[in-house]
Amino acid sequence: MQHLLFIEWLKIKRYRTFWILVGFFAVLLPLWNYGISNGIMKLGGGGKEGINVISQAYSFSNVWQNLGFWTSIFIIFLSILIVILSTNEYQFRTNRQNIIDGLSRLQFYHAKWLLILSLSVFSTLYVFITGTVFGAQYGDISYFPGKIEYLFYVWVLSLNYMGFAFILSLFFKRSGITIGIFFLYSMILESLAGKFLNWQTDSYIGNYMPLQCSDELLPFPIMDMVRSMLPKDSSAPTATIYVIVSLAWIIIYYITGRQKLLRSDW
Amino acid sequence: MENILSLTNISKSYGNIQALKNVSFEVPAGSVFGILGPNGSGKTTLLGIVLDVLKADNGNFSWLNGMNPDDARKQIGSLLETPNFYHYLSAFDNLEIVGVIKQKDKKDRERVLKAVGLYERKDSKFQTFSLGMKQRLAIGSALLGNPKVLVLDEPTNGLDPAGIAEIRSMIKELNRSGITVVMASHLLDEVEKVCTHVAILKRGDLLLSGKVEEVLSNEDRVELKADDLSQLENILKELSSLQKIQISDGFVYAYGHDLDLKFINQYCMQKGIVLSHLLQKKKSLESKFIELTEK
Repeated sequence: MQHLLFIEWLKIKRYRTFWILVGFFAVLLPLWNYGISNGIMKLGGGGKEGINVISQAYSFSNVWQNLGFWTSIFIIFLSILIVILSTNEYQFRTNRQNIIDGLSRLQFYHAKWLLILSLSVFSTLYVFITGTVFGAQYGDISYFPGKIEYLFYVWVLSLNYMGFAFILSLFFKRSGITIGIFFLYSMILESLAGKFLNWQTDSYIGNYMPLQCSDELLPFPIMDMVRSMLPKDSSAPTATIYVIVSLAWIIIYYITGRQKLLRSDW
Repeated sequence: MENILSLTNISKSYGNIQALKNVSFEVPAGSVFGILGPNGSGKTTLLGIVLDVLKADNGNFSWLNGMNPDDARKQIGSLLETPNFYHYLSAFDNLEIVGVIKQKDKKDRERVLKAVGLYERKDSKFQTFSLGMKQRLAIGSALLGNPKVLVLDEPTNGLDPAGIAEIRSMIKELNRSGITVVMASHLLDEVEKVCTHVAILKRGDLLLSGKVEEVLSNEDRVELKADDLSQLENILKELSSLQKIQISDGFVYAYGHDLDLKFINQYCMQKGIVLSHLLQKKKSLESKFIELTEK
């Protein structure tokens, strides 16, 4: 396992695109949230003296949910990175070369999953560190850790997005078209289809779609506040269900990709 | 003698196109085994299958007396179709990845880069290399860790004449040091110069396989003419050195190996036939190859 991860590391350690995309994630997440928490970016009008609704949530215990929501946006950078790293293998035909040199097809596949797993652990740890700093600054450290379960949701979401990006790469093989489809799906198709399904079936079934199920774990904090003021809908799925559905999708990605790579020509 | 590679009834099709039809042969240890065929005959498909990047529809193969194929590939240096490397990494970094996959010593990178004349460019990115340099790097990569077997697909592709000669002599030299080489080529001349064994493919069919001197033997053709052609044919049939005799276009054609014209002339004279025409034609390998692959 270490051996496979080391091979992946050799492929990325001198790859500028890798560092740039990881950098975008690592810089933008705290910077963006710093902006919001300081009232540079406001939601809720009133000029300098106005109320800044979204800056309320940087103390423990809400900081995790707040950062988690923004992670669900910025994780796009890491997902694109996965697309580029996977489609590179096809473009350079190094997928074949790795096999020719002695990796088994399964090892090649697992190496990429190990990379995804490592990046998801990285993003989670990074949110943890960022959240601890914000929480200590805007609130009382004695309330640490607060609603730490949201950190677990961040991990599930990271794995879901990057796993999805990887499987798309295996099917489309070219970075441009894969990134295009990833955006089209995650930004437009899924919300349209999801809402349509919910409306048609008068249920929450649309929320179970591949990426949406994880997005549901980390809703926009204000929406959540508003929702909590409304009468509670007892039929709404719980976070546990969304975690289970997300993990189920990740397993489906794994099995689909595995079948494809083991059976087809390279 | 042990077999390095044996194939049994390998078949593969792409849709309607049958790329390989029941191909079986064995590569003996210590040979330079050429897979010869025109473009599109299935050479690369065949190598792709034995290197596990393509899946055969039928049949099986085994490396190094049935060694686990993943382990076997680590002992095999391969160059398939095009040089495949990470464009954004240097020659040195690319070879490190190959070395780690093959579980070979890191230090060997310098040796192979020197062997293919790329040591000075070891820190240049792969994307800055010319076609010939890419090909050299691929050959260097195949040599990493002293493989027991080399699999080379059109190894002299893209090289200049000096490079071609260099690679050919390198292949022979490596073979002398005990490495078995399996190489695909569409150049008959190359196979004849370099290989000890050959398998000839034509549109997925294995036409022949065996030792080069047997398969690609130089068959002589002799043209003869006399007043009575059928009588001439009859007496020639008694000569054991002639393998085939036929009459056409007013000549008798006789085929055989290392034919001695003087002897034939004398023989006909003794039998009372005066030859009005006697001409030896060496059959070129090219025409033999074309005959084999086009009929």
